[in-house]
Amino acid sequence: MATEDNYSFIGKLRAVDLRDAETRDGILFALPYLALFSVFLLYPLLKGFYMSLFAWNAFAPAQSEFILFENYTRMLSDPEFWKSVRATVVFVVLTVPTLVVLGLALALGVNRDIKGKRVLRTIFFSPYVLTVSVVSLIWAELYAPQYGAINYYVGYLVSNPPAWLNSFTWAMPAIALATVWWTVGFNFVILIAARQSVPERLYEAARIDGASSWRAFKDITLPQMRSAIVFVTTVQFIWSFQVFGQAYIMTNGGPGNSTQTLVMYLFRMAFNEGQFGYAAAIGYFLFFVLVAVSLGNYYFVSGGTET
Amino acid sequence: MSTASSRFLSERVRSVGVYVALYGAAAIFLVPYAYMVSTSIKPEQFTFTNQPYWIPPEVTFRWYDAVLAGAPMVQWGINTFIIAATTTVLVVILDSMIAFSLTKLDWPGKRIVFTVIVASFMVPVFANMVPLYTIITDFGLINNPLAVILPFSAMPIGVFLFTQFFSDLPDSVIEAAKLDGFSTFQIYYKIVLPLMKPAIAALSLYTFVYTWNQFLWPLIVLQGQNQFTLPVGIVTMQPTQVFQPGAEMAGTFLAVLPLFVVFLVLQEHLVNAVQMQGTTG
Repeated sequence: MATEDNYSFIGKLRAVDLRDAETRDGILFALPYLALFSVFLLYPLLKGFYMSLFAWNAFAPAQSEFILFENYTRMLSDPEFWKSVRATVVFVVLTVPTLVVLGLALALGVNRDIKGKRVLRTIFFSPYVLTVSVVSLIWAELYAPQYGAINYYVGYLVSNPPAWLNSFTWAMPAIALATVWWTVGFNFVILIAARQSVPERLYEAARIDGASSWRAFKDITLPQMRSAIVFVTTVQFIWSFQVFGQAYIMTNGGPGNSTQTLVMYLFRMAFNEGQFGYAAAIGYFLFFVLVAVSLGNYYFVSGGTET
Repeated sequence: MSTASSRFLSERVRSVGVYVALYGAAAIFLVPYAYMVSTSIKPEQFTFTNQPYWIPPEVTFRWYDAVLAGAPMVQWGINTFIIAATTTVLVVILDSMIAFSLTKLDWPGKRIVFTVIVASFMVPVFANMVPLYTIITDFGLINNPLAVILPFSAMPIGVFLFTQFFSDLPDSVIEAAKLDGFSTFQIYYKIVLPLMKPAIAALSLYTFVYTWNQFLWPLIVLQGQNQFTLPVGIVTMQPTQVFQPGAEMAGTFLAVLPLFVVFLVLQEHLVNAVQMQGTTG
């Protein structure tokens, strides 16, 4: 099967013979995409590493000073860099588990025999098609300390409700909550599909054996949906680790840089401070973290599933 | 008998609980929409009050007038549409061509090419931002819609999804066409593409929505107000100088509207596209 071969790492090498019609057509059909891919994805990736070795001069790149790994050593001893890593990790910890658990709960709920499934699915999925600026502007209004709707109700419960986005403690959780509303629909629809592909006979057998629904969930649903759950967790991690827009629009990193995330720091270093070399090094740090997570999850999945 | 009825009762209680939880969650999910719409039609004296008037005692459309007069919303909408539509067309054409080549044609080196494309999934878009910016600058594309269109058309996800679908297409179909004297291009155009319509529809919609919604990259490379896309424009606009929640929410609503209509009409395709990623990825 041709498909099977696609996955072997490199395959047999042989000389390219352009007189062969299939070879010629094959390359012609691949070429347009490969051209874009090389110029706008592969080349920047290599150039990014090259730039990270220089004190890059944005106005006269040729005069950039080669400093080897100085950008990287600077990064490791830069407190503001670590502060942005910390803010990012806080965001990841707040969002990823919530998004996965809530997405799973909604998916399993809607999968039951209830009325109005389609309406519910539309409602839970709909925020996912909004752009980050719309989400951020609406939630910033909701969180407004003086006239926002949230504090009108929270004011009934506590006498002194926080000024959400201006609070060191609450700014990041507030951004995380808006993000959960915005993106949980993605996990929700993927997990519904995964749940529907679990064979119903497994549940029938469990019912005959008198298994409780908790047992059925633990011993059938979770193991059967394992790869889908790992997939959404990985994707959410990758997205959450690159959080930018919500924090940029809602707090602009404040108060006191407490919500300045890694990508925001990268953005600031590059486009406000003009330190392209340093920003490229931060980009590479981001790249390596995400590659490590993706590979780790890949081995976790392929190591755990029986083949 | 009694265990059966208690079991029946607990089943009842549980199903009522599920209804309450799901419809309660759905109601909470709708709150931000309700707030956006109601704030956008409130007169000023009701926007800054502590009490949220979900149904404003008085309705005004002056914020919509103010936004449309004070900011080039229509221009931003056109810009966004051009960028999203062009990217979608490019992605569908280029990705289906290379996917066809990778799955149905045999040529040396294609496995390396496929491996590199799949591996490039792991490159986070934002990690590549700074070098990509210098390349766009070198090409003189700053402020040009192509600065957004070209990098987004280079993303590998469509290639990967299409190869998954194309490889399910039996080789015998291709062989038969070859025997009938079809050229490679005819096989691609007259046989593969028509059979792949559902995958093409799903990927088109996904690419369109994804590109339409981009914020950070357009913010970096589109610097003139008339070049902005909607997501960038609504964040930067200050139609009345003085900050006004009503104007802000009116602008937000206008920016949401086009894509939301598309979503409500075509949501089945979009859900399919998202699920394709989860099941093939």
